[in-house]
Amino acid sequence: MPDEEELLEEGVVSPVQPDIQDPLLRKLLQAEPATADTPEPRPDKLPEPDDEVDCVVIGTGAGGAPLLARLALAGLRVVALEAGPRHEPRRDFATDEEAQRFLFWNDERLSAGKDPLSFGNNNSGTGVGGSTLHYTAYTPRVQPDDLRIRTEFGVGEDWPLSYEDLAPYYDELEWLLGISGPSPYPWGPARQRGYPLPPLPLNGAAQLMQRACEKLGIRTSPAANAAVSARYYQEGIGWREACTNRGFCQAGCSNGAKASMDVTFIPLAEAHGAEVRADCFVTEIERDAQGRVTGVVYQQHGQQQRQRCRTLFLCAGAVETPRLLLLNELALSSGQVGRNLMAHPGLQLWGTFEEMVRPYKGIPGGLISEDTHRPADADFAGGYLLQSIGVMPVTFASQVARSRGLWGQPLREYLQQYNHVAGINILGDCLPHTDNYLELSEEKDARGLPKPRVHFTNQENEQRMNAHAERVMRRIWEAAGARDIWTFPRSAHVIGTCRMGLSGDDAVVDADGRCFGVPNLYICDNSVFPSALSVNPALTIMALSLRTADRFLEKRQRLDL
Amino acid sequence: MKYPPGTVRALLDTPHVSEATRAALQQRLDAPPYEPQFFDAETYRLLGAVCARLLPQPERAAPDAIDLPAGIDERLASGKSDGWRYDVLPPDREAYRLGLGGIQQAAQTEFGQNFLALSPEQQNQVLAAVQAGTAPGDLWLKVDAPRFFEELLAEATILYYSHPLGQEEIGYAGMADLPAWTRIGLDEREEREPQEAK
Repeated sequence: MPDEEELLEEGVVSPVQPDIQDPLLRKLLQAEPATADTPEPRPDKLPEPDDEVDCVVIGTGAGGAPLLARLALAGLRVVALEAGPRHEPRRDFATDEEAQRFLFWNDERLSAGKDPLSFGNNNSGTGVGGSTLHYTAYTPRVQPDDLRIRTEFGVGEDWPLSYEDLAPYYDELEWLLGISGPSPYPWGPARQRGYPLPPLPLNGAAQLMQRACEKLGIRTSPAANAAVSARYYQEGIGWREACTNRGFCQAGCSNGAKASMDVTFIPLAEAHGAEVRADCFVTEIERDAQGRVTGVVYQQHGQQQRQRCRTLFLCAGAVETPRLLLLNELALSSGQVGRNLMAHPGLQLWGTFEEMVRPYKGIPGGLISEDTHRPADADFAGGYLLQSIGVMPVTFASQVARSRGLWGQPLREYLQQYNHVAGINILGDCLPHTDNYLELSEEKDARGLPKPRVHFTNQENEQRMNAHAERVMRRIWEAAGARDIWTFPRSAHVIGTCRMGLSGDDAVVDADGRCFGVPNLYICDNSVFPSALSVNPALTIMALSLRTADRFLEKRQRLDL
Repeated sequence: MKYPPGTVRALLDTPHVSEATRAALQQRLDAPPYEPQFFDAETYRLLGAVCARLLPQPERAAPDAIDLPAGIDERLASGKSDGWRYDVLPPDREAYRLGLGGIQQAAQTEFGQNFLALSPEQQNQVLAAVQAGTAPGDLWLKVDAPRFFEELLAEATILYYSHPLGQEEIGYAGMADLPAWTRIGLDEREEREPQEAK
């Protein structure tokens, strides 16, 4: 990158002001101009709240919210710190992609490698509820063999726990969240019971995929989605209204039909005494001489605050969790923090149809197939699932611009077919690789903290999987009657960076989520996944969250903290 | 045009659109003429000419056209980010400054003229070279040309299709989602959705 000062002297454009990328921060800094340019020297004394709580939870997404509720239900004093604000979706959420940008983690991350990852609206949320505020609501369970990928293929890593460890939590979650899905579910082990609600109706893309797969002999099923297909009673919350098919899951649900954390586990936690503090950005994790965590320091509305705690649960996601550990030089003994970064292959394939699709209506991922979980003709390890996809217009247009490279009249002409386009995509496993990792960059954000730099390059296994998936999806879309087929290469969720394992020599946390070497620090989010899994991660993160809480509570009962 | 004009604008006044949604869309329709805050006047004109090639609006005269450079200038002035940046690009403000400078440099090298003075075909030629990474000029040593072009095009495209006029053009009616969509399958249209011209 060119030297910044040199750039500022070449007068093509008027001089720039200090670069503050985050609007929330800018507001804070405007209120506190003294902090704008220089990182504040660490103050000697902070107001010392005399209370120490049992647990602090950093982050209120799929990793933090379920365990927050579990700990509160067990009668512990728990405080959650959420970097983003609290929303009132019914009043504030617009059916407009640009207006909903506040849902995304918009602090800038640097994307390096041959296949740079996009963040923001692609996979990173903020606000009370975290990324579940904008997740698509896909909630497939993992299949047992995904947790044993090393045993099966000799590559990647096995999980230090099994499907049997997760299954009871999946069951509990499916009923608590009110999952709409097919019963029985056609793939994976038999289940204790079916889904509590029938599947959501199929939209145009789902019907096209269904029709084509039937011709080709590929099994499909309406997918399991965390949006209620009928009114549903939520313990501690009340009734949740049925999904209205507005197709806007990825930009926020405005009627509470989607089981984001803000309408499920957070109200449940609060009903049992948990305190959720919004707009709290944690910067420091404090320790005593023995290296045990004693509390955290955070910024709220321009004020620095401290909260002491007996146990800390770090649930900030696969980018902010390792970033916070690296910034605080905490739990680094394994050398694995930031490493083993994976990203789900999420190749999309689009086509134009004679029929009117109007791809903005209905749950985006209406139809699923897991017949490609272990394809017979695979030349790669692991597998993937197939999903039909609906799409919002601005997301679609920007993908066309980035990937097809169309501009001028051809771009406008292509997009006039928006109502005739439909897509399918995959969600595939990814293997860890030494070239894929997160580090702190030299470049600072407005808080004076180094921006994270994320290196990602699809390796041979991901490339082969994508090539296989493209052939399969092309066949399906041709059978469905698509013309003008094109692909949008994409990686979805970021996974890894603080992986769990059996030993502190090669893992950051144990199977219970507890850090090796820091006994009162737990991590629970997609950073602890030892392998990426070939399913959307939200349900498994929530299952781990409940399990982490249960394991912690068991230990606590045995006074084995 | 495949869809009649005015569809989204008509929907805004109906109970099918929520208050928050209406406010967001109406604000874009009612945006007053914009004065650049980040770019100097000359660079801003250059940006306008580039946007006019990326998303030409020959059917809309100046005050009715979707103001793409305004959206870009406003964002850069406020320092907003979309959460990530290609590591090969400098920070957004520098990237735009260098990239637009590079477009100007390429126009001068190829045609011996200011980009604004070129014919639309010549302008397209310059931009195609930027997209392909073959545009001449030493500024491109400091900013990755294809990635800069991708970012600029994506930003202009997002602004264009976020605007009610851009949405009318493609027959999008998703903003009118109250009370619910019930006809969501293939070839199923609800009365409030626009019909395509045959």
